[in-house]
Amino acid sequence: MSPPDAPESVVVIDDDYAMRLSCGKILTKMGLPADTFEDGAHGLAAVAATKPAMVIVDLKMPGMSGMEVIARVHEIDPQIIIVVITGYATIDTAIQAMKCGAYDFLPKPFSPDELRLIVNRGLERRRLALESQRHEIEQTMLKRRFVTFVSHQLRTPLAAIHQYLDVMQHLDQASDDPARRREWIGRCLARIEELQSLISDWLTLARVEGGTLVRERVKVDLNQVISDILRTYQETAAAESVSLEARLPASAMFVCGDRNCLSVLFDNLITNAIKYNKPGGKVTVSGSRSDGEVVIAVADTGIGIPEKYRAFLFDEFFRIKDDEAKKTTGTGLGLHISKRIVSEMGGTIVVASELGAGSTFAVRLPAWSEPGCSPGPAGGQNDAEQEATTHCR
Amino acid sequence: MQSRKRLLIVDDDRDFVEAVSCYLEANGFTVFRAHDGAEGIRLAKLERPDLILMDIMMSERTEGFFTIHEIRLDPALKTVPIFVLSSFSTRLPDFEIPTKGGWLAHDMFFAKPVDVVQLLEKIRQRLDKAA
Repeated sequence: MSPPDAPESVVVIDDDYAMRLSCGKILTKMGLPADTFEDGAHGLAAVAATKPAMVIVDLKMPGMSGMEVIARVHEIDPQIIIVVITGYATIDTAIQAMKCGAYDFLPKPFSPDELRLIVNRGLERRRLALESQRHEIEQTMLKRRFVTFVSHQLRTPLAAIHQYLDVMQHLDQASDDPARRREWIGRCLARIEELQSLISDWLTLARVEGGTLVRERVKVDLNQVISDILRTYQETAAAESVSLEARLPASAMFVCGDRNCLSVLFDNLITNAIKYNKPGGKVTVSGSRSDGEVVIAVADTGIGIPEKYRAFLFDEFFRIKDDEAKKTTGTGLGLHISKRIVSEMGGTIVVASELGAGSTFAVRLPAWSEPGCSPGPAGGQNDAEQEATTHCR
Repeated sequence: MQSRKRLLIVDDDRDFVEAVSCYLEANGFTVFRAHDGAEGIRLAKLERPDLILMDIMMSERTEGFFTIHEIRLDPALKTVPIFVLSSFSTRLPDFEIPTKGGWLAHDMFFAKPVDVVQLLEKIRQRLDKAA
């Protein structure tokens, strides 16, 4: 597989000179490096050497057949997208080719637009496939190393606290500085807090994985939930010079769900929006109803999320490694937990972001409808109200 | 009087670096602090420390090993003693000190948190032996 940042190139294999020439020109104009070959053997040698993103191959050629080329290309790299060119008379063969692994076919004659369309679609499909493959590998590695990773996450703050105390105990009087000692005690307390939030996030996660997180299914007013959270964070935000604004409808926005989990969800989103903001920035929480859904958008005016990270944002333990983001602490679990809560309640969460301008997390949840909630994974409504206070955090 | 011995500590945990450095400074060493592998390589080449304390799992999982490898490529740093400090146990199946890659007999491994008194003693022993 070629490295993800290498430019995507295309190999065209066709015995027809005019076809090679025009395909080559169109592809080059699209910004795609293209090599053309008149027979399968030379084409395959180039495919093996350059690992292109796409191979466009004529099915009917003297020598090695197009069908054989398809099989050999996928032996070299199954991620290469293959498009076959074929005459109208051989459409059955084209279908046969797709069964053998070709992505699509172009019947002759075709226009430059048709070629461009199919190439763009094919490349997009490849990018998605590569991304999900990479993601899968990362997730597998993470699962395999979960215990190692978790113990490292726990030991790091513990080691720092231990180290401060150890040094304070062993420094002789002459080198002990009371101001520094106070500062170190403050750092120890901060690291202890870090440990506590780590543990509490893990417990939440364990409940998510055990399927016991969202237990309650009752009528909850999101207006109320969000207003309460905003009130709680008024001071924290002011300390960071960030202003909080609610743009909520005057009347209640009822959804069907678990009150505590909904609090955890919007608490996560709103604290993130404060944390990853800029001094003088703003957090806007807006709510609206549409088509049986309640839509809540939490928007910040912060640093934004680079596009390459967006696909992984909701993964467990994912944290952006950029310098700006490094300044804030976090367990890498908040958004993962948020996403799990939203999907347990039958909703969706998406992010839109612009670098340097800010990010918006939009949550859609099914609105409450009379006579009540349909039983979801939590199994029915109102029967777990007494347990509701402890199971989310 | 002999000039102060120079140490370099490379660790992404600033609190850990602060605590250990202060202790070593109070005991007569000059300590250079780096918080990632790249900064560690830069300071190693610039300051030519007498001994290096190196964390392994920084923002990349085995960043410390790469850093050690890079540092050892510099002829002037080929034999600088390196003490590895890590909160990992070395016996976990997927985490072992590589046998290749410039691992020297005078390098040592310390589990975090370290016993600073013992660390100080080992550093002194190593540097006395080298002198």
